[in-house]
Amino acid sequence: MLTLIDGIEAFIGRLKAIHPLLPWLVALLLLLPVPHFTANNYQVYLINFICIMIILATGLNIVKGFAGQVTVGHVALYAIGAYTSAVLSTKFGMPFYVNLPVSILAAMIFGVLVGLPSFRLEGAYLALATLAFAQAVEVYIRVTNYLGAASGIGGIKPPEFFGFTLRNYDEYYYLVMPIMLLAVYASFAILRSATGRAFMAVREDPISAASMGVNVRRYKLIAFVMSAFYAGLAGSLYAHMLPGYVHPNNFTVIEMVTVLLMVVLGGIGNIWGGIIGAIIVTIVADITREYYFYQLLLFGAVIVGTVLFMPKGIGGIIDRYFVNRRFVAARELTAVAKRGVVGSASREE
Amino acid sequence: MKKSLNCLVIAGVLAAGSAWAGEIRIGATMRMISENGQKYGEMMQDEFAAINESGGINGHTVKLILLNDECKSDKGVANANKFAYQDNVHLIIGSTCSSVSLPIVDVTAQAEVPQIIPHSTNDQITRKNSAWVFRVPISSRYYKGVVSKYLHDKVGDQIAYVYASDAAAMSETQGLIQQMRDVYGVEPVYEAQTQEKEIDFRSHLVTIKDLNPDAIFFGGLQEPIARFLVQSYEVGIPASVVRAAGSAASNAPVPKLAGDAVKGVFFSAAYSDSDDRPIAQLFNSYVRSRYGIKGVDHDFSQAYDLIRIVEIALGNADLSLEDDDLAADRTAIRDAIANVQGYEGLASGPISFCADPTPECRDGNRTPVLIQYLEGGEDFKVGILDRVTMPVEFGL
Repeated sequence: MLTLIDGIEAFIGRLKAIHPLLPWLVALLLLLPVPHFTANNYQVYLINFICIMIILATGLNIVKGFAGQVTVGHVALYAIGAYTSAVLSTKFGMPFYVNLPVSILAAMIFGVLVGLPSFRLEGAYLALATLAFAQAVEVYIRVTNYLGAASGIGGIKPPEFFGFTLRNYDEYYYLVMPIMLLAVYASFAILRSATGRAFMAVREDPISAASMGVNVRRYKLIAFVMSAFYAGLAGSLYAHMLPGYVHPNNFTVIEMVTVLLMVVLGGIGNIWGGIIGAIIVTIVADITREYYFYQLLLFGAVIVGTVLFMPKGIGGIIDRYFVNRRFVAARELTAVAKRGVVGSASREE
Repeated sequence: MKKSLNCLVIAGVLAAGSAWAGEIRIGATMRMISENGQKYGEMMQDEFAAINESGGINGHTVKLILLNDECKSDKGVANANKFAYQDNVHLIIGSTCSSVSLPIVDVTAQAEVPQIIPHSTNDQITRKNSAWVFRVPISSRYYKGVVSKYLHDKVGDQIAYVYASDAAAMSETQGLIQQMRDVYGVEPVYEAQTQEKEIDFRSHLVTIKDLNPDAIFFGGLQEPIARFLVQSYEVGIPASVVRAAGSAASNAPVPKLAGDAVKGVFFSAAYSDSDDRPIAQLFNSYVRSRYGIKGVDHDFSQAYDLIRIVEIALGNADLSLEDDDLAADRTAIRDAIANVQGYEGLASGPISFCADPTPECRDGNRTPVLIQYLEGGEDFKVGILDRVTMPVEFGL
């Protein structure tokens, strides 16, 4: 297993040396034929759902992992993205390529609203404020007839491009998978940018960050808006996937806990960890579908267990492996260099 | 070693495949998060097990895969996709909640799997005109007709409506308000929507008390109905104001939780606990002894009727049950269900289907029964006010 990880890392390194975008292009090419290797349509449906969850978890990781803001209102932004697409599609007959950016924009506007309390609140207090926002959104949808209220909104049209409609899960995969890859790539780009470094400075110590010239309020708000971008994107993709139906029951606290579990299990602040978490949680939720009595108990236990025994999640373990390996390699290199120096010195003598 | 392992795996897969052949696979997705919800699921498992013990259907055993959708559409859709594409079921049963059955209709239509609905009443389900959908319970379009007529003829036109935010309650109550408006030209004296989990309705009830209506109608699930009734007396609304409720009032927890406050409340449902037909009495004592349920509600009777209808249809369908013939078997089952005519079981009236993918053909039961609570508590008593068979096109 470790040899495999080493091999993959070396391969990615070689590709990066040619062009920084090449590993992503290779990933795209490798992922393209996936539906042809699945046993049935249900597995493609699950993969599509995993892609949407990866986008959602990556978004949560930006605000929670990178910027250290404790939010539990992410699922409300996901709902806003989904419902914006649903309303535009069913009530105004707008196509997917219009609905997607408008949904993202709507989620980002609400992202500003969620981000504002973070100026004055921290930790559990911010969590409570964002939880209240999530509840308010769910309740508002549930009692608003225009938004389908408790009946939900059905009949959301599947995406159509140049007369070609994505009518089944196989076809939808070729929309959702590249978008997911692009979203993950963007999150890496954010992490490596000056904005990403400012996020991390805010996370580690807002006062120190401010003293170093980082506009803490501005970067907190940017983190919430970026996170909302991802949530709106995931929501729109979810709404347009077959059977094109959204309901307030899909955006409750339980969904929020599930997305949180993905990020916590994968590793807060670790992009790959969030992706692994999204994959594992979705698959485990599917496998344990028949043991529904124990599912939430299992999820809760995993969160507690992860926080207690693996606080940096799966991503943290992988990171530690690479750090250790690099440390060992550097130590060996230093030892070799030292031996070389000693050898040449003795020869000179 | 590797080769022999591969052979073993292939042999295992083939053996599993042959074990599937000759078996009728049914997937059921239901809301099993309440005590009664679990019992409906248990009853389905027990009934199919009994069919298998008595030799199966035309010699074929039935395999039931039961999953919980928690009344959530995404889980219901995932369950339906799993049944259709992974478990390769011949028939899907579900769901309990209208908000779950609605999107599943699109999944079963695309996958071309017959779907038969045990409990959902929302009239939009069959209005989607899917050729693959059949509904055993009474559609909300029939309920509203019966209740509105009774209210107008026997109670009065000054009616206050309060309803919870669940799909069935909204469809039932809003349909009733519209019916009163369209047919009798009557506007509600009060109309309010509450939260799904709201437990204090006194602010609405105090306002309603001042309006002095002829009747109050409450649409919602069982617990909110019980609370609403108790609180209506707490705020001092006299017993002379008639209390009416949605079809969920038929569920046993309502009289148990509401106690004497349930006395005089009327509602329409598909089955009455006080039904004096021998088959109904036998069914009541069976459910009471086997599942420990004192008040047998219409969700039990509808689940039972559904199993009998499925049994009849599967018995009449010409099935090969080979994996290659899955699509043909699914079509045969759909056609066999469409041919079920005049089934007389526990339901308040005969259940019939036909081939057209229209609500007229796919809303099987159109005979709501008007029921009134005579006594509350665990040993509650109900009486039948009326039983009305609605015209097939009513409410369309």
